[in-house]
Amino acid sequence: MSDPRETVLASWTAPDAEGWRRLDPRMSIVTGARVVGSAALPAIPALLGLAGRLGYWTVLALAGVLVVAGAFGLAHWLTTGYRVTDRRFELRSGVLRRNLQNAPLDRVRTIDLTAPLLHRILGVTKVAIGTGVDLHRVELGAVTHGEAARLRAELLPDGAPPYEPATTAAPTAAGPTAAIADVGVPPTPDAAAPTATPRATEEVLALLDWRWLRFAPLSLARLAVVAGAFTALSQVLPDLHIDENHAASSFWGWVQEQAVALIVVLGVVGIVVAWLAIAVIGYALQWGGLRLSRQQRGERPAIHLQAGLLSTRAVTIEERRIRGVVLTEPLLLRWAGGAEVSTWATGVKDGVAQVLPPCPRPVAVEVAARVLGLADDAPLAVPLTRHGRVARRRTHLRGQWPALALLAATAVLALVPDAGPAWQATLTLAPIAALIGAGCAESCYRHLGHAVVPGPRGGHVVAGSGILTRRRTVLEADGVIGWVVRQSFFQRRAGVATLVATTAAGPEQAAIRDVPLGEAHAVIGAVSPRLVAAFAAPQTTAASARTSAMSSS
Amino acid sequence: MTASPTPHPSDAVALREPTRLVSPRAKQQWRVQLLVTAIVPASGAVAAWLWPGGDTWPVLAAGAVAVLLIAGAFIVPQVRYRIHRWEVADDAIATRRGLLRIEDRIAPLSRVQTIDSRQSFLQRLFRVRSLVVTTASAAGPIMIDGLDAEEAQRLVAELTAITARERGDAT
Repeated sequence: MSDPRETVLASWTAPDAEGWRRLDPRMSIVTGARVVGSAALPAIPALLGLAGRLGYWTVLALAGVLVVAGAFGLAHWLTTGYRVTDRRFELRSGVLRRNLQNAPLDRVRTIDLTAPLLHRILGVTKVAIGTGVDLHRVELGAVTHGEAARLRAELLPDGAPPYEPATTAAPTAAGPTAAIADVGVPPTPDAAAPTATPRATEEVLALLDWRWLRFAPLSLARLAVVAGAFTALSQVLPDLHIDENHAASSFWGWVQEQAVALIVVLGVVGIVVAWLAIAVIGYALQWGGLRLSRQQRGERPAIHLQAGLLSTRAVTIEERRIRGVVLTEPLLLRWAGGAEVSTWATGVKDGVAQVLPPCPRPVAVEVAARVLGLADDAPLAVPLTRHGRVARRRTHLRGQWPALALLAATAVLALVPDAGPAWQATLTLAPIAALIGAGCAESCYRHLGHAVVPGPRGGHVVAGSGILTRRRTVLEADGVIGWVVRQSFFQRRAGVATLVATTAAGPEQAAIRDVPLGEAHAVIGAVSPRLVAAFAAPQTTAASARTSAMSSS
Repeated sequence: MTASPTPHPSDAVALREPTRLVSPRAKQQWRVQLLVTAIVPASGAVAAWLWPGGDTWPVLAAGAVAVLLIAGAFIVPQVRYRIHRWEVADDAIATRRGLLRIEDRIAPLSRVQTIDSRQSFLQRLFRVRSLVVTTASAAGPIMIDGLDAEEAQRLVAELTAITARERGDAT
């Protein structure tokens, strides 16, 4: 803070008489860059047109654009202010139309700091303040790291972990370590700072291990990007003229024929190499510097996630808002022994946050258990109760729909006079679809299951799902706010039901499909004993109640 | 099958169905609603029949839809009424509703967010109301269709009083 530049900046952003502070002046550069960026696309054709007579006017036009962008940025910076009153956080903005956004202080649940590339270069960070169940967030475009830490301490007084840029205070140990580090409170320039200096404890749950990069190519999400790029490239290839009539008779023809094969091989190799490169680079950019920790100050611990090489993001979620975790193992990743972890939280934008990238399964299981605050990994390791023969039969029936549709199409095509031999194609595809359907159904049935594990906060209900991807959803019993037992006509005849636990966290529901009805009621009873106390059927009439339910259609 | 790790309090545990039926007038309201809906395809069928030089298949298609709706009007409300049940017991609310697909919903009142009661024009004619009880999950609104209007008002007051006693944000 002794840097004279910092002192000048501090005087520019100091609160006025009513407590309004300005954003960091570098915000004007961010806004200006955004103005230039949005104007760039339409401007490119114009610039290309002018390219022939580059000269005085072009330079002048460019200078004009920069001046306008700078003016915009400056005006935006001058008219934007924020303050923290004793009841709420307020943000006012707008040059012509004034905007006032506010967030009541007792509703502030999350504070996310993100620094895209430009912000990182300028040394500032964005702050997004999340409130309540509604998805509205108040966003501060750019403040210094120190101011971000001060805001976080002021708005989340109990659970607020100090924010450090990725470069400082990162332990060198790799992998999940249980190191407990004492992190002092950053010096607060504010005179109103609490006089007592509480000490925050930080427990590191996971750090990035670069060996995890081997899992990067196994996530197929980025493959779509590569495929798209090569499709675009293939549009250029036909420019190689291969004259087939002439080719066969000459030596050059032979060479050109080989060239076609060579191009195909090179293309495939190119796709694989590009896929590997993009997957690994993407993984590294997104998850480099990963640091997942539990930070505690006062009574409210919070889970803190920080990751990203070029653009960093830091997410803080109060621990009591985390109601569950999901362990996801896509097919390829599962074969390689890897898994990913997401959390389900209430009051966070879209509720689902991925906290671990593809990593070894034991690490994922251990971190998931510790994010839930569990001493053991029982809910993540316990074998699931399978749903039995009926569920398996229903899964296989569902898997055969595509094959049935193909057979129906064959019948229709064979009957329609002018359809040609298309029916042969659909008839050939039908058994293939049947085989794939059977394979997927068996895999789907093996992933299906449920369990109830006793533990803190009411225990956990565990749901297994997924067709090729194996997904285990672990939901806190205290986070379950209701149940739905759904039975289709055929499910009633088979005595099974789809059990849905509703929750305020994440996607707001966890479904357990085709579970035997009695088993579904047992799960409700084990997870929500008070509900069952009110609606329990006398044991002798339980069976008759079930049959009457079935016959009442 | 793997051994069940579920600590079942007892294997015979079962949830009974809620006891209360909705107002019998709801049947009439549902019936009128279906008949009103049937007016659209029926008038379509008549129009297609009167159209000079038209084909016969539009008449048959629209007519079939109308006949199905009218037939449904005499069967569906009766079945729906027999299935639809609700009950408030201790600190929980439970409903059952459906026709071919039957859905049981149960939620602790401590987790209720809002209690709405609604009345459409037809419902007003038959003096019935609908009740919608929402929790913090988009997946779990609990609906009671066709309550006696006065009973609905009483129930709203009762539920509001119970949920007002609860603290916290019910998530």
